[in-house]
Amino acid sequence: MSNSINVRAQAARCITAVIGEGESLTTALELSRSVVAPRDVGLLYEMSFGVMRHYYQLYHLARLLLSKNLKPRDKDILALIMVGLYQLIHMRIPNHAALNETVSGTKNLSKPWARGLVNALLRRYLRESEDLLTKLKSKADVVAEMPEWLARRLKKAWPDDWQSIQQASQSHPPMTLRVNRAQLDRAAYVALLDEHDIPVNVIDSTPAGVALVSAVNVDKLPGFDEGKVSVQDAAAQLACELLAPVDGDRVLDACAAPGGKTAALLEYAAAHNEQAKVVAWDNSEQRLQRLKDGLSRLGHEAEVACVDVSDAKAVSAHGEFERILLDAPCSATGVIRRHPDIKLLRRETDIVPLVKTQAAMLDALWAVLKPGGYLLYATCSILPDENTLQIESFLSRQADASEVMIKTNWGQAQGVGRQILPGQQGMDGFYYALLEKRNIS
Amino acid sequence: MMTLKILKYPDPRLRTVAKPVTEVTDETRELIDNMFATMYAAPGIGLAATQVDVHERIVVIDISAEKDEPLVLINPEIIAKNGTEVSEEGCLSVPSIYEKVERAESISVQALDRNGQSISFDTGGMLAVCIQHEIDHLDGKVFVDYLSPLKQKRISKKIEKNQKFEESHTAF
Repeated sequence: MSNSINVRAQAARCITAVIGEGESLTTALELSRSVVAPRDVGLLYEMSFGVMRHYYQLYHLARLLLSKNLKPRDKDILALIMVGLYQLIHMRIPNHAALNETVSGTKNLSKPWARGLVNALLRRYLRESEDLLTKLKSKADVVAEMPEWLARRLKKAWPDDWQSIQQASQSHPPMTLRVNRAQLDRAAYVALLDEHDIPVNVIDSTPAGVALVSAVNVDKLPGFDEGKVSVQDAAAQLACELLAPVDGDRVLDACAAPGGKTAALLEYAAAHNEQAKVVAWDNSEQRLQRLKDGLSRLGHEAEVACVDVSDAKAVSAHGEFERILLDAPCSATGVIRRHPDIKLLRRETDIVPLVKTQAAMLDALWAVLKPGGYLLYATCSILPDENTLQIESFLSRQADASEVMIKTNWGQAQGVGRQILPGQQGMDGFYYALLEKRNIS
Repeated sequence: MMTLKILKYPDPRLRTVAKPVTEVTDETRELIDNMFATMYAAPGIGLAATQVDVHERIVVIDISAEKDEPLVLINPEIIAKNGTEVSEEGCLSVPSIYEKVERAESISVQALDRNGQSISFDTGGMLAVCIQHEIDHLDGKVFVDYLSPLKQKRISKKIEKNQKFEESHTAF
């Protein structure tokens, strides 16, 4: 038998994987897209992402409507209820269809006992929606649409920008492409898109970026399989411009998978006729396989190795580098608009260990950076602990390190480094600091 | 492990009634592993041996999203049925066609597992639908048999069109 699973039940399964097992939504959805009928894939994504985006509202509503708590093993029913509420509140599906399909999802979850419960609860929402929604206005996490700890930290760090960060984190991100300059320039690809009636806007802050007016499946993109183009946010595309490798450089992308920035570095070198040797590391073989697949689609070659960058000894075994990109593991608080499940997966207690790991990685890599070389530190975080404070502390530890000012028109200058806040110039939230290793003799 | 070729409706071999497995051997298990590989690759949630042109009563199923709950049923039998329910079905032998089919809502099943041990259980929901769908294959039946003659005709036409499209797009 082939995939014809109730799409709402499947959305509930994906959400359960996130809230119950700490799985990332992207992974859960990748596994699921083959399970539902092809025509339902779009709906599956919209409902799963939508529930994550409005999680606090939907969760508290479900709790108000449930007279008693569900058992821990029935998280899937809670998720299905949220899927139902999401459709009633945020989607333009006729109420009766949303209701019937959601209720029959209980059978698909093999929990027919929940049929009456889900039905009664969604109907009660329709009757009392105004009252219920008013009750939610006192809940801080519903108003902020993010967990209390994150809202508190962001308000403190960005008192003037807090509102716009919050709005941008709830918005739908643009689908942004990076043209493979090893094959063709941006203007040529834009012409190709035009031939295929795909409207785009050129992103001026990047040399290879274009934003689609509305997202399309990658197999609709001309030349995707031949590697003419990749999907990558504009903020991430800036890394290769800042690191700007020159002839003969040995360049390390230290936390490389899934490989977008590795490819961008190679494309930068090709576009500037520089012969750079790019080395790509990651600590996961599985993720490195995706990197290799991506590079081979684009026709690029890199030296790939499985290395844990927080392990100084492992790092020291591979020679020295003229340029290093450290796109460090981080809270990912700058890309909530792309991965709304971050709001649920990330805990406040994760921040200290992340900051420690980042510091260990910086120190380990610094040891293999040649004097006169550059290290670009990047995160998709908007928390100062992982960004400015991290680099300030690094500069105070390493006598031969100094900051190179990034002079540009995107983002905003910080004490050290440069911060792009989510949504600024249409980009993801990102932080960059460029560090130079001085010759001390 | 290798993936096997799946027979496509209206292949007459799909009408063969499968014979019971007399002994569960290493060859049986090898076939089962290949059937799983074929099903996961397709991708599907259930596969009967009939569909890979082996006419023995063997079914493999995995309805989990994570693809980590494989179920093997050898010589499966439904010993009790309860209620009726309509749900949409699709079939690896009838690609791209999804139609509503009425089945028993819950069933009691008896079968052998991959080690030849006897198992029995009651189930409902998706799994019950899938087991009924696969046992039909062993009996030479395909889910489109339950549809009206008009719908069957329309499906045959659609499949013919899809095949032509595929042939014209397999250039050497």
